[in-house]
Amino acid sequence: MRRLPVTIVVSVVILTVVLACAIAGGLIAPHALRQSLYLGSVGAGQAGHLFGTDQLGRDVLQLSVAGARSALAGPVLVALGSMLIGVLMGTVAGYRGGAVDMLAGRYADLLLAMPAILLAIVVAGLLGGGYWIAVGVLVLLFSPSDVRLVRAAVMEQASRPYIESAKVLGIRPRRIMFRHVLPNVFPIIVANVLLNVAFALVALSSLSYLGLGVPPGAADWGRQLADGRQLLGSNPLASIVPGLLIILTATAVNLLGDWISDLLDRKVATR
Amino acid sequence: MTLFILRRLGMTVVLLLALSLLVFGLMFAAPGDLARNLLGTKNVTPEALAQIRAQYHLNEPFLEQYWRWLAGAVTGDFGTSIRTGGSVGGMLTSRVGLTAAISGLAFALSVLVGVPAGVAAALRRGSWPDRLLVGVSVVGVSAPGFAVSLILLYVFAVGLGWFPIYGTGSGFLDGLWHLALPSVALALGLGAFVVKLTRAAVLRELDEDYVMFARARGLAPGRVLVIVLRNAAIPIVTSLGLMVGYLFGGTVLIEVTFALPGLGALLEQSVLFKDFPVVQALTVIVAFVISMTALLVDLAYLAIDPRVRARTVRR
Amino acid sequence: MTAPLLKTTGLRVTGPSGVIVAGLDLEVGHGEAVAIVGESGSGKSMTAKALSGLLPRGVSASGEIELEGDPIAQWRRVRGSRVALLLQDPFTSLSPVHTCGAQIGWAVRDRRRRAERVRSLLAEVGLSADVAGKYPFELSGGMRQRVAIAAALSADPGLLIADEPTTALDVTTQRGVLDLIGELRRERRMGLILITHDLRLARSRADRVLVMYAGRLVESGPADEVLRAPGHPYTARLAECDPPLDRRLPELVTIPGSVPQPHSVTAGCPFAGRCDLVVDSCRTTTPSLVETGAGHLVACPRTTGEGLAPSPPVSMDRPEPAEPRPADEEILAVRGLTKRFRGREQPALDDVSLTVGRGDAVAIVGESGSGKTTLARCLVGLERPDAGTVEAPSRIQIVFQDPYSALNPGMTVGTSLAEALAAAGRPRSEVGGLLELVGLPGAYARRRPRALSGGERQRVAIARALAPRAEVLVCDEPVSALDVSVQAGILNLLAKLRADLGLTLLFITHDLAVARQVADRVHVMYQGRILESGPAGAVLSAPRHDYTRRLLAAVPGEE
Repeated sequence: MRRLPVTIVVSVVILTVVLACAIAGGLIAPHALRQSLYLGSVGAGQAGHLFGTDQLGRDVLQLSVAGARSALAGPVLVALGSMLIGVLMGTVAGYRGGAVDMLAGRYADLLLAMPAILLAIVVAGLLGGGYWIAVGVLVLLFSPSDVRLVRAAVMEQASRPYIESAKVLGIRPRRIMFRHVLPNVFPIIVANVLLNVAFALVALSSLSYLGLGVPPGAADWGRQLADGRQLLGSNPLASIVPGLLIILTATAVNLLGDWISDLLDRKVATR
Repeated sequence: MTLFILRRLGMTVVLLLALSLLVFGLMFAAPGDLARNLLGTKNVTPEALAQIRAQYHLNEPFLEQYWRWLAGAVTGDFGTSIRTGGSVGGMLTSRVGLTAAISGLAFALSVLVGVPAGVAAALRRGSWPDRLLVGVSVVGVSAPGFAVSLILLYVFAVGLGWFPIYGTGSGFLDGLWHLALPSVALALGLGAFVVKLTRAAVLRELDEDYVMFARARGLAPGRVLVIVLRNAAIPIVTSLGLMVGYLFGGTVLIEVTFALPGLGALLEQSVLFKDFPVVQALTVIVAFVISMTALLVDLAYLAIDPRVRARTVRR
Repeated sequence: MTAPLLKTTGLRVTGPSGVIVAGLDLEVGHGEAVAIVGESGSGKSMTAKALSGLLPRGVSASGEIELEGDPIAQWRRVRGSRVALLLQDPFTSLSPVHTCGAQIGWAVRDRRRRAERVRSLLAEVGLSADVAGKYPFELSGGMRQRVAIAAALSADPGLLIADEPTTALDVTTQRGVLDLIGELRRERRMGLILITHDLRLARSRADRVLVMYAGRLVESGPADEVLRAPGHPYTARLAECDPPLDRRLPELVTIPGSVPQPHSVTAGCPFAGRCDLVVDSCRTTTPSLVETGAGHLVACPRTTGEGLAPSPPVSMDRPEPAEPRPADEEILAVRGLTKRFRGREQPALDDVSLTVGRGDAVAIVGESGSGKTTLARCLVGLERPDAGTVEAPSRIQIVFQDPYSALNPGMTVGTSLAEALAAAGRPRSEVGGLLELVGLPGAYARRRPRALSGGERQRVAIARALAPRAEVLVCDEPVSALDVSVQAGILNLLAKLRADLGLTLLFITHDLAVARQVADRVHVMYQGRILESGPAGAVLSAPRHDYTRRLLAAVPGEE
């Protein structure tokens, strides 16, 4: 196996760290939410806080570690949920065509006409906000492009000679779908799920930033940025640290997704 | 050809209706009593509630209410804001200039810098400037607008003090100075996208046979590039449509961060406040603009790609 | 003595996996036509690209090139004005968004006289002046290639390198384009390097022939001589592999094995593994070119200088039925089949009717757009006709053209075959028998498609089609994508299967010679209709319809 590029290694390392924080946040940063209103916002390195504190006296570092969970859980769910809908509707639409294809097409057209984030803001906001409502809304908003992607990939596969031979040989459609079409579509799906995770992270943290995601006081990078806006003078790290964390995580996932995409393109070309 | 335009306009109208219906419907799906929400900050008394119900015709069937709104909207009357009590239409017109300015600046910046950068990267594929640019654009695409804004704010406004932190400034030049940082913040995310796209489109074309054939006839590299760009323009134009969508989403975040009183900030405030009339109006306006952009993109196709022209005329 | 138009010594092309062309010497005189003949992997295309300085990324060339005695300093000054390259595929060699006139005019330096020049170039290639305003997608393949030729000649090069210029065109168009190139060559006193895989074409269009195998030059000399009395075993066998048009052979000549990758040949003669004249020294010492006659060079120690005897000696031709056999049993019947695709004015099938008897071998011959592929698809149920009936047995199977996409790349050969068997209710244990049936070793069951050559993959595809004990096998251009030396093997296999299993064959092809070898009966299709039907021998030697005559006349070597 050729040596992996440095960027990919770094990305995987970053993501592993973030994942560890998300899973074991309670162990690593047990006092993330402990407030110290008396202390208020202090700068970096003061009073035993490496990155300082925010306006409620919470330690920025610990809060950021705790925020990893909402940074990964929601986006991963959005990407997986959206791709699930994409696979279910896309395979039927691409392989069978007909009514399902028409419906899927109109559904996609409608939802893709509006920018996802805007609709998310409107719908999530009007429904009262909340993290899981935001997640649900994003699943619905991301799904049309996944449906389109899977449908296109399935259609491209379906016209290949070995699929047509399978049809003529009388192999059952379900077996053709699962044994022949999906395994070749699967890599595209994986690459796209990763890219969606990055996109969902950005969208979800944007919603939290605007006050439409997590409830106030919860550990979340987007929320930290919103709170930290007023603190640019006293402790800029309160917003810069979570900001950099979002950028790093999203970039790492994007790099990974792009790299897998490239790998697949090359693999297909050498067959 | 006219049939084509009519058909597209028809689809746009259907889209707008569906969208406005959706948003209108959300009003009723929102938690809490609608009348109470509509009262906003005023005192909640049975009389007030009854008055609100009468004022907003809440006792009528859903579709009639919607029709009432629609009839008003078509003539430009979007009702009154719950939050401010003022005319929604008025609020929109007073803020549209600022949003248009920021969006316009950001769009221009991202295209004027992004497209040449993407082309240059494609031509020097594999070299270190290319790889650097690709790396930067991945980061740019991954970074949410507000995070970039805050970092920019901190570095340039608070730290270096080159730009003002908040506000719109007075006068043309001062206004521009105030809008510089927000426009750049917005342009960074958009520009990264443009670079990625342009580079991919040009790379694809460079591998095609007609490029080899052109070089085989002794055409100068500059000439060949012009030919390539003419072909690459097609996928690039497609994505310009996508960019407009991104632009709208980003504008909200930027305006909120820089405390600029534009349409984006208005949307955020109105959503948080559940100021339905404003949200409805904004959603429909945005959908309209995006649909018009999509139509323009399709018309651009007709101008650029002769194959599409032939197919459309034949229909 | 004037220097030759082009002279290259020791041309060596190397790519990421290794050498592609190993040490080629080539000379082209003014107004001379030289053909470079080779199959896939011979390095002929890379040679063409190296000779115009247009190698792809990662590929480099070394050696000396001289144009009229001067070494080439900068390629850009030479390309177009002295050397021009014509590409194979007219569907991709022109920019889709520019008009033909614009594209032809790009290499014309003088801006003021550009329009006039474009008009005269169009006239030279036999196209009317209004083509200048058209876009490539509005023209047929043959017309596009003519536009490409006009564009290539626009800067008046002294040498034209044509890389398989007619391979992507229909047979009837091919001849016109080749005639045009010949005319232009004579009028302009232009040199021509013609890259082709077709020996017959080389013979009829070139003065000299160079034969390449696995990146090496194995033989060169005057066209007539090399083909009449080939010195190298490969050239001899290659010539024999071409199925003849005028008679039917009991078994076609094939070269066992497949072409090795140029970089995997380290020592000795690259052809050693497949040669029937091979001796031990062939495998250890690389043979060098030896002059056996006037200008005739051969790289083989076994050559005698008098041409090699054909092998194996063909005793007698296979008898073919003069009359259509009384149909003992009609196994396939098509009546009034019509199919029109959306958006096309021309119907793909227009009231087509034919019958096939059990055990027959029938060829459907036609060019692109004739409807032959649509007919095949309707027969196996992949396409539903708009009108008409198809009466076919349930056990009808199909083999497609492209062996590289005929098998699922993620499944082993054995799994693909087992799956086909399972779908037909047959036991998995028959996999070995199927492989044996198509002449492949049982161990292949464990291999994946990418480890197999094109010919081997096609054999697996045939085996898979036979898994459900098919009664009728529809073959849609099954050998068009294969090298000539491999083609014959597949055709022999199909003939054998027909004899052993009583299989009925429906063979779709554009190649008349192949049709002659395979079929008893031939149907000629054009634009969705059957124009002529009859016994293969009769139709192909004494055609009645005008179109059939045109098809026959277009076969290279038939003038």
